[in-house]
Amino acid sequence: MQFAKSLLAGVVLCGMVAVSATASEADLVKKGEKIFNTKKLGNCLACHDANGKKINSPGSFGPKLQYLSAWPEKALYDKVYNPYTTNPISAMPPFGLNGWLDDEQIKAVVAYLKTIK
Amino acid sequence: MIRSIAKVSALGLLAISILGAGGFNEQAEKDRKALIEYMQKKFSDPLKNRASQFPYSTDKELKENIKGGLKFEDFRLGSYAFNKSGKEQYDEIAEMPPYEDAVDEGEELYNKKFKNGKSFKECFPKPDIAGDYPMYDAKKGVVTLSSAINDCLKANGEKPWNMKKGKMAKLEAYFAYQSKEAGKKFNIKIDSKEAQEAYERGKKEYYSQRGYLKLSCASCHVQGAGKRVRAEYMSPLLGQVTHFPVYRLKWEDLGTLERRMVGCNKDQGENPHKANSKWMKELLYFMAYMSNGMPVDGPDIRK
Ligand code: HEC
Ligand code: HEC
Repeated sequence: MQFAKSLLAGVVLCGMVAVSATASEADLVKKGEKIFNTKKLGNCLACHDANGKKINSPGSFGPKLQYLSAWPEKALYDKVYNPYTTNPISAMPPFGLNGWLDDEQIKAVVAYLKTIK
Repeated sequence: MIRSIAKVSALGLLAISILGAGGFNEQAEKDRKALIEYMQKKFSDPLKNRASQFPYSTDKELKENIKGGLKFEDFRLGSYAFNKSGKEQYDEIAEMPPYEDAVDEGEELYNKKFKNGKSFKECFPKPDIAGDYPMYDAKKGVVTLSSAINDCLKANGEKPWNMKKGKMAKLEAYFAYQSKEAGKKFNIKIDSKEAQEAYERGKKEYYSQRGYLKLSCASCHVQGAGKRVRAEYMSPLLGQVTHFPVYRLKWEDLGTLERRMVGCNKDQGENPHKANSKWMKELLYFMAYMSNGMPVDGPDIRK
C-alpha cells in the first residue's frame, strides 16, 4: 500500500513535471513564433515560408522551411546565430553574431523551428 | 596634300579624344554591359532559370506572375518590368497620375525669380537635364541633381531645400518630365581619374555587406532581383534610378531618389545616410551610370 501510494505520487509527480515541461515548451514555441513573424524581431517571414504554418505573405528570398523537426537543435541554433559557419556566402543575416537576437530569443526561435515538419 | 594631312591629323585627334574618354569609363562600361547581360539572361525564361536565379520561388509564381524575355529598355520599369500583377495595379493608378500637379508646381519654381531677380534658368538654362546627373566636378566631387539645385539656391543667396521632398521633389519632377518629353536618355560621364575613383567607391558601397543584417544592396537588387521580401518584388539595379522622383503610395507623397534610399538603408539594418553625404552621392553616381542609355522615365509611381 505504502509502495502503491508512493508509486502513485511518483506518477502524479512525473505527470506534473511532464505537463509543466510541455507548458513551458509551448510558451517557448509561441515566443519563437512571435519572433519569426515580427518585423522588429526576427522578421524571418520577410524571406521564409514555413511548411504547415500559416505565414502572412512570406518572402521568396530564402527557402521555404521544411523538415526542420529532423534537424539537431545545435544545427538550427548555429544557422540562426551565424549562417556563414555552414554557408560562407549565405544571404541570410547572422542574427546572433550581430547581436540582434540574444541567446534566449534564438533558443525560442529554435523551439519553433523544431515544430516545422 | 595639305588637305589630306589635315584630315589625318583631325582623325588622329578624334581617335585620341575617344580613347581619352574611353579610358576613364572603360571599367564602368564593362560593368554596365555585364549587368545588362546578367539581367537579360536572368529574366529570359524565369521558369527555366529557376535553379540558378529563383531557387525559392514557386513554379506557379514563375509561370503566372513573372514575365520573361525582358529586354534592355524594359528594365526602366523597375519591378513592374516582370511583376505582372503589380504592373496591372500600377497601370490603373497611372491612368490618373498623382504627380501631375507636382510637375506644374515644379515649372513655376523653375521660372520663379529669386530675391536677387535671377532664377534657376541662370544655373540650368534647359530643364531637360535629369539624365545628365550625377556628374563629377573637379572641385566639388560628385554633384547630384539635388545638390546642384541647392548649390544654385545658395549661389543666389537663397536657403537650400530639403533634398528628399517638397520643392526639391517638385522641381525634379519638372526636370524629369521635360527630359522624358524631349526623349532624353541617361548619359552619365566619367571623364577623369578622380571621377573614375568616385565611381569605383560607389560601386564598392553597392556590393558591400552592411548594417546589422549584413546585406548588400546587390544581395537584394542584383542576385535578389525578382525574388520577394514578403510580398514585395525586388527591382533590378539596372534601371533603378531612371524614373525618379516617385509618388509613393506608402508616403502619399512625392519623394526624391535620396528619400527612397532611406528605406533601403533601414532594410539593411543601417542608420540612413545623409542625402548630401559623399557616400550617397558616389553611390548614386554608380547607380546612374548603370542605367546609361535608358530613357529618362520620371516622375513615376511606386508602392
Ligand atoms: C534576408 C533574408 C533572410 C532572413 C531575414 C532570414 N533568412 Fe533564413 N535563409 C535565407 C537564405 C537565403 C537561406 C539559404 C542559404 C543558407 O542556407 O544559408 C536561409 C536558410 C535558412 C535555414 C536553413 C534552411 C534549409 O532548409 O537549409 C533556416 C533554418 C533559416 N534560414 C531560418 C531563419 C530564421 C529562423 C530566420 C529569422 C530569425 C531567418 N532564417 C531569417 C535568408 C534569410
Ligand atoms: C533587404 C533587401 C533590400 C536591401 C538590402 C536593399 N533594398 Fe532597395 N529595395 C528593396 C525592396 C523590397 C524595394 C521595393 C521594391 C522595389 O525594388 O521597387 C526596394 C526599392 C529600392 C529602390 C526603388 C526602386 C524603384 O523602382 O522605385 C531603390 C533605388 C533601391 N531599393 C536601392 C537600394 C540601395 C542603393 C540599397 C543599398 C544601400 C538597397 N536598395 C538595399 C529591398 C532592399
